[in-house]
Amino acid sequence: MSAMWPAGYEPVLLARVSRPDSRSIDGYLADGGYASWKKVLAGIATGEWTPAKVTEMVKASALRGRGGAGFPCGLKWTFVPPKEKRGNKPVYLLCNADESEPGTFKDRVFIEKDPHQILEGMMLASFALGVKHAYLYIRGEMVHGAEILNAAVDEAYQKGLLGKNVLGSGIDLDITIHRGAGAYIGGEEPALTESLEEKRGHPRVKPPFPAVSGVWAAPTIVNNVETLCCVKHIVDRGADWFKGYGRNEKNTGPKLFCISGHVERPGVYEAPMGIPFMELLALAGGVKGGRKLKAVIPGGSSAPMLTAAEVANMPLDFDGVAAAKSMLGSAAIIVMDETADIPKAVTNISKFYAHESCGQCTPCREGTPWLNKMLKRLVNGQGKRQDIDLLLQISGQMGNGMTICVFADAAIAPVISGITKFRAEFEAYLAKAASPDFALSAPSDVTKKVAERMAEGIHC
Amino acid sequence: MVKVTVDGTAVEVPDNANALEACRAAGVDVPHFCYHPRFSIVGQCRMCMVEIDGAPKVQASCTVPVRGGMVIRASSEKALAARNATMEFLLINHPLDCPICDQAGECQLQDNAVAGGLPVSRTSEPRRQFPGYDRTDIGPHVIADMTRCIQCTRCIRFCNEIAGTGELTFIERGGHTMVWTHEGHQLDNEWSACAADVCPVGALTTKEFRFRKRVWWLKKTASVCPGCEIGCNISIEHREQVVHRFLPRVNLGVNDFWMCDHGRFLAESLNGRDFLKPVVPDDFLKASEPDGRGRRETNWGEALGLVHEKLTAAKPAAVLAIGSANLSTEENWLLAELFGKTVGTPNVEFDADQGPLRRIRNPKAIGADGGFLKGTVAAPNARGAEAAGVRKASGESALGRLLTGSLVPDVLYVADAAFSARTADPAFVAKLRKAKFLVVHARTRSALTDVADVVLPVSGLTGKDGSFLNVQGRVQRFDVAFVPPPIVKTDLEVLLHLGQRFGVFETRWTTADVFGKLAATVPAYGGLAWDAPAVVGLPPSVSPAASYDVLRPPRTSVDDTDKLPAAAGKA
Amino acid sequence: MSGGAGTPVSEQAGLPREGEHGALSAGKAVSFSPKALARFEKLLTRYPTKQAALLPTLWIAQEELGWISREAVDYVASLLGLSPAFVWGVTTFYTMYNRAPVGKHLIQFCTSISCHLAGAEEVFAECRKRLGDLKPGETTADGRFTVIEVECLAQCDKAPAVMVNDDDCAIITKENLEQFLGGLK
Repeated sequence: MSAMWPAGYEPVLLARVSRPDSRSIDGYLADGGYASWKKVLAGIATGEWTPAKVTEMVKASALRGRGGAGFPCGLKWTFVPPKEKRGNKPVYLLCNADESEPGTFKDRVFIEKDPHQILEGMMLASFALGVKHAYLYIRGEMVHGAEILNAAVDEAYQKGLLGKNVLGSGIDLDITIHRGAGAYIGGEEPALTESLEEKRGHPRVKPPFPAVSGVWAAPTIVNNVETLCCVKHIVDRGADWFKGYGRNEKNTGPKLFCISGHVERPGVYEAPMGIPFMELLALAGGVKGGRKLKAVIPGGSSAPMLTAAEVANMPLDFDGVAAAKSMLGSAAIIVMDETADIPKAVTNISKFYAHESCGQCTPCREGTPWLNKMLKRLVNGQGKRQDIDLLLQISGQMGNGMTICVFADAAIAPVISGITKFRAEFEAYLAKAASPDFALSAPSDVTKKVAERMAEGIHC
Repeated sequence: MVKVTVDGTAVEVPDNANALEACRAAGVDVPHFCYHPRFSIVGQCRMCMVEIDGAPKVQASCTVPVRGGMVIRASSEKALAARNATMEFLLINHPLDCPICDQAGECQLQDNAVAGGLPVSRTSEPRRQFPGYDRTDIGPHVIADMTRCIQCTRCIRFCNEIAGTGELTFIERGGHTMVWTHEGHQLDNEWSACAADVCPVGALTTKEFRFRKRVWWLKKTASVCPGCEIGCNISIEHREQVVHRFLPRVNLGVNDFWMCDHGRFLAESLNGRDFLKPVVPDDFLKASEPDGRGRRETNWGEALGLVHEKLTAAKPAAVLAIGSANLSTEENWLLAELFGKTVGTPNVEFDADQGPLRRIRNPKAIGADGGFLKGTVAAPNARGAEAAGVRKASGESALGRLLTGSLVPDVLYVADAAFSARTADPAFVAKLRKAKFLVVHARTRSALTDVADVVLPVSGLTGKDGSFLNVQGRVQRFDVAFVPPPIVKTDLEVLLHLGQRFGVFETRWTTADVFGKLAATVPAYGGLAWDAPAVVGLPPSVSPAASYDVLRPPRTSVDDTDKLPAAAGKA
Repeated sequence: MSGGAGTPVSEQAGLPREGEHGALSAGKAVSFSPKALARFEKLLTRYPTKQAALLPTLWIAQEELGWISREAVDYVASLLGLSPAFVWGVTTFYTMYNRAPVGKHLIQFCTSISCHLAGAEEVFAECRKRLGDLKPGETTADGRFTVIEVECLAQCDKAPAVMVNDDDCAIITKENLEQFLGGLK
């Protein structure tokens, strides 16, 4: 496991991961773990700690969700209907460890190396939200991760940190590890709640949002693993400390970055939010073999691709990447050097989306395989003159509200950005094609329109 | 009720309506596939896209609950572009096999493609195939062809939410998603063909109707199912004097959108005719026939004259008239009047079979029990017969005594040769034959007609009109599907002609006239008019999808989940 | 382009046939061992509804039997009060439930973007070639290896990433492929 940080930086999230007994509860307790949980529980009787106080701290910290959308975590928590409105319905916390966005492997570090950090984050969030039973949904593929987490939960019960009347505080809390079985769409919030129930992981129509009606029709807050780890540190050290990291008030805290692809030392890096891309690249040893940088996918495969010029001065935080017309997403940075074949890379990503579409909504179910079939044909030398424009047109009819969830928007982003930014490479495939001029209809000037809308930051 | 605006038209809709329903209420036809007024909203076909003021993106109108003052733009450029996009996606993989598809002509995909699809196809990729999952039985009545499926899940939701049996599911995912059963299980619930009804395309079709008739040739006649006492409203679909199928006809108070397979597949039983002319005994032929029952065909005059003569000669107490729960209330009433009052016999009775329990989902119908209307009598009009003054037979009644041998009628008049399934039983028929003179109304030959003295050829359900009184006490009219051959009479006409010979009925009376007499004398019919909407029901041209207005289960919210129906998919 | 390779209705016996997507029969009824049943009972205590335990119960079934057979679906459905169709629908939605017996070593090659950039497709093809021109999803005749292609395994820093059964294997290239396969006893 490669886990690193910039020189002179004091790691927060990854502080414990290289310790020999980082997994065990004894090691965690020895490092001061569960101090916040105990502190909060002890403070209930005195009135020093209330759920509202924890929520306020998280709100004040400006913590934004680390799963992909970057939604303010504290604000999300306030969407849970108050007791008067929800009646006897319980509130559930669902920790999203269904890490499946291609390029993302940061949650795995917490799960395999520091599981108690996650559990403490879940405990504190549960306290803030009044949750009596929290679930952690772990990817099916992480078999050992699930074993480690289950062992950690057992340890926490043994130490009396979970269960009925935890440490005599009057608080009841259970945590259950729920293992998925292989479906990317499961990472989408409502689909995740469906999947935690007994169902196929289909996204469902919003509203109602999970915070109002999620699992078992009860209010449910879904938070990413890293987000909950941040919650633990915020309660440890305060909102002001957390806000000390980052470029501005809206992008705060320590952050994990997964860097993979054509770099010398791929891995998970911790750095303050807003670290410049080039600095992070240097930290990862630079582009592989000292080659030239060509393209970067800054936030997992669903983030629009950026060119070398676009990332040259880009700070890595939510707003910094958004300013470059892409998104930080899960901070999964995929680096492509000059040897990378963009049409093939786009084809590969389109295969992923065709494979993972849940099949509910027509545009996504039909569109994702269509894009993939066309791209495959193109890179196999069977392209037609009109294909490139058609790819953009089809992409333009899939996103922006055409489907229940944003999966389709994710699927079209690499296609649109790849074609508009590296069109010459796609046309080079056409030049090699067997009979590119056999066309059913004339190509249109849609490319220009799409490029214009991309410039406005809109997926067509 | 809330006020909304659709394409500039103000309209008032119920609070729990959605934007799609509001569009329909305003007369704006927004195409859709997955929406069905009785199923939960899934919003996944993405066909009903509209623009809503204040929402930055296009919206699937079925997923948007109405709010007061909402402004819906169903025909804006953006809305139409979105719908065209969905249409294109649906068509890239749908086979172009309309010429051999049974759904053609009543296919929502075809209709919407014609109405608003692109004129050309932009795909050059091979179309998706489902080898092994096309043209395959998935149950006793339903054939599935997944190449045609558009994954709207109506059939799945029908099985989960209406039938409550959950035989169907999505399997696989993404572009490979299809609807199927679990291996080794069939789509075999009581209403399985309704899954084919709700299918907007030709992915699910019924085996019985497959390749029988192009649907645009079919004429639709409003009728009532003869299968049981629930009296589901149906459309008899026929062409050139042949019935090809029954479809449920929407009646929110009775069968809602549904009908059971038992009733639906009685359609074929309405076809066929064995008697064109009345049959009477013939003395000359009698002598030459070994069983002494020589008969010949004759005209109505001779046949009815003979019946009149026998009835006049018989002792009134030795006359037994058997009505039927298959006959209309009008016919039963005429029988009761003629035999009870004119001939003067106390023995006017009917007998109906207790059948297996039939159920129709309709939680809101009066008399519904546990969400189902239930019927146990295997004939449509037992209540009507009783209301008309025909008594239910029992062990001590005349029919009971005939069966035990303690009564030998001079004349046994059976107004429906198929009044009970037992008429196919030779032992039962032999007991009826003990009567000295046996008259039957019949359309088809049976063990009973084989031994009758006089057979009066009648039209059957397709050739007549009338009304049934169903299990809820609801009077429901059925219409003439097609006129029978001229020499065949309806049961009503036969009784009127016979009554005329007794000087009590007039042959010019229509069914409506008799209905009027019923309304004046029979409490169950009190105050009803032959043409009253409640009696007539909806015309068969009202497609199930057009009745949007009411009764859709309310959307789930945080406040009403305790009242949710049983979760989908639970066995 | 209508129809396909399906058998016409007239040639069928009434029931859907076993096909690519249908549940295969193991030819014998399924029931959990006492140990598995105990785990199942414990599971039920962790969820507010019985049905919610479906995914973990299918995992137990797969651990017990190696794959999810037609009979296993019926058994799990009866345990949880769900319809068999519903259980089968869920089983086929998720990729990790095996719908046929797999080899002793289920080799799962990630070919998502980071591994693609590291040449995963070539390694995958090479591996299949070495195991006797296996098609994706096929099992070697000796029942030792099944090779499949999967999406991102969240090990992008160790591309090309491979999973063998439940174990993660890092950086499998054409060069160390021989050694890797040799290490699988």
